[in-house]
Amino acid sequence: MIEHGPLLERLLAGDFICAVSDETAFRHLQDEAIRERIDAYLRPLNRRLATNTDASVYFLAWLRLDESAREQLSRQLGDTVGSLMPMLEWLQLVQEALGRDGLAAPGDVLKPADFSSRCEDHQGLRERLERLASDPFFGSQSDQLDAQLKQVFKRLKEHGYLQQPHAERQYYVVTGKIDYLIDLVRFIRDEENLPIDDQTATQQTLL
Amino acid sequence: MSTSDPHALESRLVSAGVERLALLGKHAETLMAGYTCDEVPLEGLSTTALNRLLAARILWRPDEQGGVKLAPKVRELIAEMLADETRRHVNADVAETLELVRTLVQSYREARDAGEYWRQEQQLLRLRQEVDDLNGRFADAIDSLWRRLNSDFGFVSRLGDKIRENERAQKQIVRLLDGLALIDFDELIELVGSDGALRKLLVSGLQQQLTHHFTSLREVQRRLIELMARFRQQQSRSRLVAGMVGFLREHPNFVPGNYALRSEVPELINRAAPIMPAGAVALDHDADARLAAELLHRLPRPASRPEAVTAAGAAQLPEDTRVAARQQALKEDVEGFYLTVVDHDGEGLSALEYLQGSGLEWDEEIWLFQVISEYQGLPRSEQRAFRLRQVETQASPFNHLYLIHDVQLQLAPPA
Repeated sequence: MIEHGPLLERLLAGDFICAVSDETAFRHLQDEAIRERIDAYLRPLNRRLATNTDASVYFLAWLRLDESAREQLSRQLGDTVGSLMPMLEWLQLVQEALGRDGLAAPGDVLKPADFSSRCEDHQGLRERLERLASDPFFGSQSDQLDAQLKQVFKRLKEHGYLQQPHAERQYYVVTGKIDYLIDLVRFIRDEENLPIDDQTATQQTLL
Repeated sequence: MSTSDPHALESRLVSAGVERLALLGKHAETLMAGYTCDEVPLEGLSTTALNRLLAARILWRPDEQGGVKLAPKVRELIAEMLADETRRHVNADVAETLELVRTLVQSYREARDAGEYWRQEQQLLRLRQEVDDLNGRFADAIDSLWRRLNSDFGFVSRLGDKIRENERAQKQIVRLLDGLALIDFDELIELVGSDGALRKLLVSGLQQQLTHHFTSLREVQRRLIELMARFRQQQSRSRLVAGMVGFLREHPNFVPGNYALRSEVPELINRAAPIMPAGAVALDHDADARLAAELLHRLPRPASRPEAVTAAGAAQLPEDTRVAARQQALKEDVEGFYLTVVDHDGEGLSALEYLQGSGLEWDEEIWLFQVISEYQGLPRSEQRAFRLRQVETQASPFNHLYLIHDVQLQLAPPA
């Protein structure tokens, strides 16, 4: 179990473990025998391993839900829902600013410099970024583009959506926590029966 | 049929071919303009040149009123040469080739039976060319498919277009596989009979090549389906996010249900609170406590901050002062001992006896050490005024280690 010490520590600290955030640990977590051992270890801590729909990211869940656990989950859900709009708007901004086909996905590399050059050329993007950066979730007080970007990336890193491989180099890698966020959006849509369609017309005809 | 006629025909074909191929080079720019636009620009083309291009079927005129366009084969040739995936055609046309092969084998047989070796050779050459063409068409088609696949359909920018291109590629694969299925080796075996050259060309050689194409096509197909799934997932994610953003904008006060209060808390919502390193992990169970201890040992040390160093310095200061003060007190007490010796009129005094007699509370060893070092610290001239004798014993008969038990200090008799 000792060899999984650092992994347990990260899990206990509330980290999400995916192929980007810790490749070795993630590989270990794909092994059912190791998962069982970790679960056995976590039992007295009233915790267990949990994963998202595609099993692309692991985190810890409560084993038994008592009153205080439910309270904590309610608070946490409230926070996540509160961060939903800025996070989703950021995802859209990334897609548009970088002219990508899809949303940022785990493993994608993002550089603040790319954003700043795009935003400098494009007033619309610049304004959207400014609005987004001043959202309480990102909480930038600055009116300088670079400082705003820095704050946005910093917050995303703190929340575990981005990983910065080298502290002194300005590039970030999207982590599997994005998958979790998307799964959560889908879950809320399904639970609340929101009129949001993610299937294409051709797909529907195929089905 | 005389044998000279076919030779003459051949040389006429060659010279006409060279002449017409040269037309492609001569009018390359105009033709490329026709490739990129709808019609071939006629400025800069003389009437003679235009007529030659039309005669060579490099250009054609779809109707009398309309403009001049590139012939489909030329367009295909250019697309093929440029690996231009937007326009490259995938067309193996197996059925027609098979028909032709049957005819050629028939003619070949007749020529062989009639003993016309030259004609037999010609038929075999044409057969070989047809088989090569068939192979070439499959190889080209597979190459084109791989290129599109490996570039993630990079020649179209929108995801929707990529999905449509992928669908088109998958249909092409199905047609190619259908084409491969048309080739019936039992029929070919029967067709070639016992002729070794034909058997090698149409059975063993072809079979090997077609097996290779079949494997490649299946592999491309598998990869295309995988890529399609990724495209679909990307598309579905983008739509989901766009949809949710749109919904939240329209309903700024929307709050989802509190899933944490359900009897069955959904998997995704159940995220345990983090355990902070300083948190008390109260575990009565020995084994668990050991594991927790292991875990705690592995916790990273908090990174020290610059302020912390300053704080430590401030805490250090009184400690240093206290040590210095004690050091000073010891020194003063030792000086007191020296003064007593001076007052004692040349009589030797034991440092330890003095220590015990004076009620000072210094450790004996430290006291002796200070007495000795005070003596050694004196200037030469003053040192001579004292005589320091160490009361010592040899620690062991086997070495020269001496242990000092006491020191005797007395004023040296005046010289």
